[in-house]
Amino acid sequence: MKKFGLLLTTFMLFLGSVLAQTVTITGKVMDDKGVAIQNASVQIKGAKGGTVTGKDGSFTIKAPQNAKTLIISSVNFLKQEVAIDGKSSLMVSLANDDKTMDEVVVTGYTREKKSQFSGAATTLSGKVVEGTPMGSFDQALQGRVPGMIVNSGSGQPGASANVTIRGIQSITGAGTQPLYVVDGVPIAAGNFAALNPNDFETFNILKDASAAALYGARGGLGVIVITTKQGKSGAPNFSYRSQYGFTQAPNATNFDMMNTSEILQYEERLRLTGTPGWEYSKNNPTYAGAGATVQGRRDFLLDSLGKINSDYSKILFRQGFSFNQELDMSGGTATNKYYMSFGYFDQKGTDLASRLQRYTLRLNFEQTMGRLTLNFRNQIGYSITDFSEGEFRGNSARNAFQMAWRAKPYENPYDAQGNLIFGASTNLALKQVGNVIEGINNTVLNRTQIKLVSSLTATFKITDNLFFKNTVGIDAASEGWIRNIYANSFVGSLQTLNSGFLAEANRLNSQIVNTTSLNFNKKFGGKHEVDAGVYFETFRLYTKGSGFNLFNLDPRINETGQGAGSVPNTGSAWTQPASSAKSGYGISSLFSTLRYTFDNKYTLNASLRNDETSRILNPNNKAVITWSTGVTWNAKRESFFRDLNWLNDIKVRASYGSVPNIESVATGGFGIPGGLIGITNYLGPQMATFGATTGFVGSTITGLVPTNPGTPNLELETIEKTNFGIDLSMFNDRLRVSVDRYINRTKGLFINFATPLTGGFGGLSIPTNAGAMSNKGWEFVVAYDLVRKKDFTLSLGLNHSINTNIIESLGGVPEYQTGTGIIRAGIPFGTHFTQHYLGADPATGAPLFRDASGNPTTSLSAPQFADFGTYIPKHVGGFNLDVTYKRISISALFSYQFDVYRYNNIENWITRGVAGYHTAVNASKRLLTEQWQKPGDVKFYQSPSFDRGFNSSDIQDAKFLRFRNLNIAYNVPEIKLGGTRIIKNARFYVQMQNVAIWSPWRGPDPEDSNNISLNEFPNPRIFTTGLDIKF
Amino acid sequence: MKLNKILLISSLSLALFSCSKVTEITETDLIAGNTALKTVANCESATIGAYSGFNTIMNIQLNFTLADEVKRAEFYNAGTTHEWQYNNSDVGIRDNFTAISGVYQLIDRANRVLIALPIADSTRLGDITLKSRLRGECLFLRAAAHFDAFRYYCGPYTPAGLAMPYKETPSLDPVARITMLPFFQKLNADLAAAKLLVPNNLTDINRVNFLSVTALQARVALYMNDWTNAATFASDFITLRPLSPIAGFSGLWTDANTNELSMRIVRNTGTRLGSLFMGTSPNSSNISQVTWAPSTALLNAFDPINDVRYAAYFRTEPLLTAPRPTILINKYRGATGTVYGSSLEHVVNEKVFRTAEMVLIRAEARAELNSFTGANSAETDLNMLRAARIIGYAPVTLASKPAAIDAIMMERFKELAYEGHRFWDLKRRGLPVVRLASDAPTTAATTLPAGNFRFLLPIPLTEINVNPLIQQNPGY
Repeated sequence: MKKFGLLLTTFMLFLGSVLAQTVTITGKVMDDKGVAIQNASVQIKGAKGGTVTGKDGSFTIKAPQNAKTLIISSVNFLKQEVAIDGKSSLMVSLANDDKTMDEVVVTGYTREKKSQFSGAATTLSGKVVEGTPMGSFDQALQGRVPGMIVNSGSGQPGASANVTIRGIQSITGAGTQPLYVVDGVPIAAGNFAALNPNDFETFNILKDASAAALYGARGGLGVIVITTKQGKSGAPNFSYRSQYGFTQAPNATNFDMMNTSEILQYEERLRLTGTPGWEYSKNNPTYAGAGATVQGRRDFLLDSLGKINSDYSKILFRQGFSFNQELDMSGGTATNKYYMSFGYFDQKGTDLASRLQRYTLRLNFEQTMGRLTLNFRNQIGYSITDFSEGEFRGNSARNAFQMAWRAKPYENPYDAQGNLIFGASTNLALKQVGNVIEGINNTVLNRTQIKLVSSLTATFKITDNLFFKNTVGIDAASEGWIRNIYANSFVGSLQTLNSGFLAEANRLNSQIVNTTSLNFNKKFGGKHEVDAGVYFETFRLYTKGSGFNLFNLDPRINETGQGAGSVPNTGSAWTQPASSAKSGYGISSLFSTLRYTFDNKYTLNASLRNDETSRILNPNNKAVITWSTGVTWNAKRESFFRDLNWLNDIKVRASYGSVPNIESVATGGFGIPGGLIGITNYLGPQMATFGATTGFVGSTITGLVPTNPGTPNLELETIEKTNFGIDLSMFNDRLRVSVDRYINRTKGLFINFATPLTGGFGGLSIPTNAGAMSNKGWEFVVAYDLVRKKDFTLSLGLNHSINTNIIESLGGVPEYQTGTGIIRAGIPFGTHFTQHYLGADPATGAPLFRDASGNPTTSLSAPQFADFGTYIPKHVGGFNLDVTYKRISISALFSYQFDVYRYNNIENWITRGVAGYHTAVNASKRLLTEQWQKPGDVKFYQSPSFDRGFNSSDIQDAKFLRFRNLNIAYNVPEIKLGGTRIIKNARFYVQMQNVAIWSPWRGPDPEDSNNISLNEFPNPRIFTTGLDIKF
Repeated sequence: MKLNKILLISSLSLALFSCSKVTEITETDLIAGNTALKTVANCESATIGAYSGFNTIMNIQLNFTLADEVKRAEFYNAGTTHEWQYNNSDVGIRDNFTAISGVYQLIDRANRVLIALPIADSTRLGDITLKSRLRGECLFLRAAAHFDAFRYYCGPYTPAGLAMPYKETPSLDPVARITMLPFFQKLNADLAAAKLLVPNNLTDINRVNFLSVTALQARVALYMNDWTNAATFASDFITLRPLSPIAGFSGLWTDANTNELSMRIVRNTGTRLGSLFMGTSPNSSNISQVTWAPSTALLNAFDPINDVRYAAYFRTEPLLTAPRPTILINKYRGATGTVYGSSLEHVVNEKVFRTAEMVLIRAEARAELNSFTGANSAETDLNMLRAARIIGYAPVTLASKPAAIDAIMMERFKELAYEGHRFWDLKRRGLPVVRLASDAPTTAATTLPAGNFRFLLPIPLTEINVNPLIQQNPGY
């Protein structure tokens, strides 16, 4: 059939040449720098057939005499129509097409034409992060990539998001991040505060086996490949960016906290000993006999407190500023290209102390010398981060994110003169919020970081079809940490030895990679294209750190160990408050890729990789194989689709492969005193550990016994990934649709499995490759250009993904609980497991739970159920709207998640309804009306005589729709002054990040990176105005 | 030219990396794995750790519960074991007699030292000598633990019979049981090697010495029906460590002396051996419940007046009156003068090897070799032992080999009561457990017929589940 079609075409062409008068046109196609473009398509408008340019960009085409126009096109260039005008020779220069950048997928090792790419990848322009006021670029990817969850766990400026591609694929490795690669260098995940996102040209998110298999054992969770900007040959371009704005605490709380009069009334109702609402109450039995003076005093105090009604969300949060300045220059000559930039970013968070300052310098330089091209890409970043003390402390009454909601509203932390009130706090004379502020004011928690990401690639063209390439890359980050609680402060007096606390730590993390490859690319007989590569790669990671802490500091000086006094001799053994540790691992890899394309219609991809790594202790399991294969069918090129004019393109993809997941292997940690840093140890959990025993009395020597065998038989989990995809482009390319279906199966899933008793550890359970897990999903992308006029464009985009995670098998191990969830075959990972609270027993007010047979029971040991959803969202997506009208452009991005449930710990505290909580914790208004008080009450919250604990009543729907970003810009045209160009163009914009959020969740922010919301630093709203000038 | 340069640079960079052996990077800063046992001193600590898993408590408890040495008293929750009702998932077996767990833990501990020793840093004076001693001790502990595994889970010795896995390296891999011939070859090889390495003196009887290895060799030979070796090893022991004089016998059990002992396990309040039979009492007027009382069969076997063992092993308790049991097991009560509620109540050292057992081993071996009467016979051994136990003892003459065996078995019953031998002796000799009606907890639990499958404990179900190679004993 195919052959017949080809024959027919040839015949028709032949016939045409016979029947019509023809002319021969020759020409050459070049890019804007004069470099010849090979394989550019040359067609005659209104006629079938055509030709392609040769190596030197030249072409020869026979055209009917009446032909008027040639259409020249090539990947990465704007399609151009050239009038023939009777000429027989044409020189055509094609302009680069930035928009067609998404026609190429950069896998990091290779650049694949989308038409030949069989994998599932999302390519994003760097523009999606450009200018967003986020200290860490990954946060700006939320809602952009189908199948990728980007959830922020903290509003700290510079904090990284938690990124999950196509579901949780490991139990032990749950929460580990995908691999990030910048210009061929793997960089540490979760540590992006010192990178300048405005340097990024493209993001390629590789999701399936075909794409990720290139990365072997480190690609199991997907890969995010980032390419930085490079200049173009020609005169230098300068660009200056400036952004000012502010951060604002979110007001999106559905918490219905009691105001002062309500909580005083509630305290009285519950007769809470030690609280003003009861101690000063006229109903208190002590009141009547107290005498007029005392009564008067009580009335006065109650009245005074009643007039205070503090809004701690105003007191404990602030409006911070956000500031960005950047200058870059790019350009080049015929043989070199360069891009350099300087950036300064400064953002204060909404927490009273949080701040990120960042300085970045970049130089990208490429030099071609004959057959050799050297490409050097380098960024140095210096960041200074002030962290939130509250977030560091976690679950503590000194955590502002806890006190903002739970503190009683009748504390005023400032006196009439505006001085802070702090000191020992009692429930009758609260100073808790004052203490939080005093603590923040007298504590420094700071990290300075120098980060370097650098790569040098040498490409040598051995022949026109054979390339030798070597990339060496370094990602290094050096951090210095300090936490100082000033000696000369109230909070300092609460430390051990009553005079401040100092912890300092340093850590150096680095990764070095060297990749050597030989690549071959050739077309045979016009229809066969072969691309093959052989690669050898060595990867080495180092981590090293040290730290100490001191007490008894000198109150005269801060943030130094100088002057620290001695530690009294207590006579008991003294643990040295200083330590250091180092660790690391390496991978040695050999791999190859092969691509064969027939007639630009069918493409077969395959890759095979062998990694050998020190991450695995067992010498027999060190080597792991990754492989993948994929096919692509450009169906549009088939005759039966060719004539469907409304269908501009149709492509079908399929891939399958097996990718090991190195992140599935649990790592251990070395503790460093001060708690500022930890040092990962990569083999610790695999090694046997020993502990002391005094079981043998017959010797003065302390015994040493193995306490854990480690995991000597450990192998990596492997994910078998299947992907089917279809890409459609319709109606003059106005409507573009992609659908992907994937099935990922994790094999050898680590399950805590009993060891044989004959193994010598009494049957101790250790992670064993016994289980299986699946993630099955759909991904949809729709883009529609509603209006495509010169002065008015309107386009809409939507991406949606559905992921269903199931723990398929536990390999025979009984189910077990981890955290708030349960590991049980047949249900998703992350499923909450708890007692089902039904409400108050109308007769007694006791908490009612569901029993095993579904009936209410007041037994506090009622069974737990797994009926309350999971904290990993099943549906994730985003949509965007982009409008340009003349010089104005508006873009809006929304992101959403649903089918997600999380524990709300603050909700638990404020609705607990018992003396143990509300003596010190403010309560929800719901307790006034929804708490059982007398027999016959049908209420949700139990009587204050009973505690209902922590259970299903604290699990809330955490779905949300977030108006993520709004950007309104005005584009200023070229400005000339007396014939001299002042600026090429400029763009002025206003932008709002986290504009609004809609969610049934109670609390400041439903978005989080884990299962439970406890004292979270909410994501701020950020307003900025910016000006970008190109000159 | 340029190509050459590139290739040169690339191969240099490759060389740089390949030299660092990125696949062999170890965890340098972690005190775990091999590093934990890096020096000989560390290995000695680990050997001490191995000793902490070596004891006779479960042997004692299992043998008296399953056999006829005790009868139930005031507190009784051992129905499944005492009445032979256990199965492979029985809690009683799992919690009280999961011997497989303890013995293989000890084996693992010993194996880790044995692997670490050859490469351990020997930086201190005397490390070289210590190294070989530790090796000897760990070989002994490994052999002893395997021997116990055999006694719990295996039938009487036949070369082709199913023994247990003999583990010589630490491993969590599933492992199959091997036959008795290779099992005992390994075991005896370990003992023979150990014997040359451990101290040949009795300076420290808390740890293994030459004589203790000899004692275990004698015991192993007895279980293998290797009568010649059993007699030889036992003789070696008896020569160097004669029987206790009659006057010192009771002091052996109150730890007043260490007569007859080549090895003991020192105990403090952390482990109260006597609590196997009754709880520790809150104070002298609040006497704890008695779990096990001596069986009438055993009491009746003694001459309570002239046999010093009677008073050493049993006491008639004047502080208790019926219906509480009044005749109690005294063997592990503690030091002389121990009263109820005293802090050292029931605290007494374990006696691992002692001369009386060696004399009985030699007697049995000699009888089996048909030397049941005359000089250097079973008869002389039996008379020698009895003379050291019974005041005014008159030597007897043994008429036949069966008569000699019967007398020796009865003497083992008496002499070695509550020392962890009885049930295994009956199994070894193919005899039934026969209890007096008054000793039996139920009428159904009077007799465990000879050769019954319950003489072999079941491999626990938890092991079967995770070790697909292991073979269950018949009947379970």
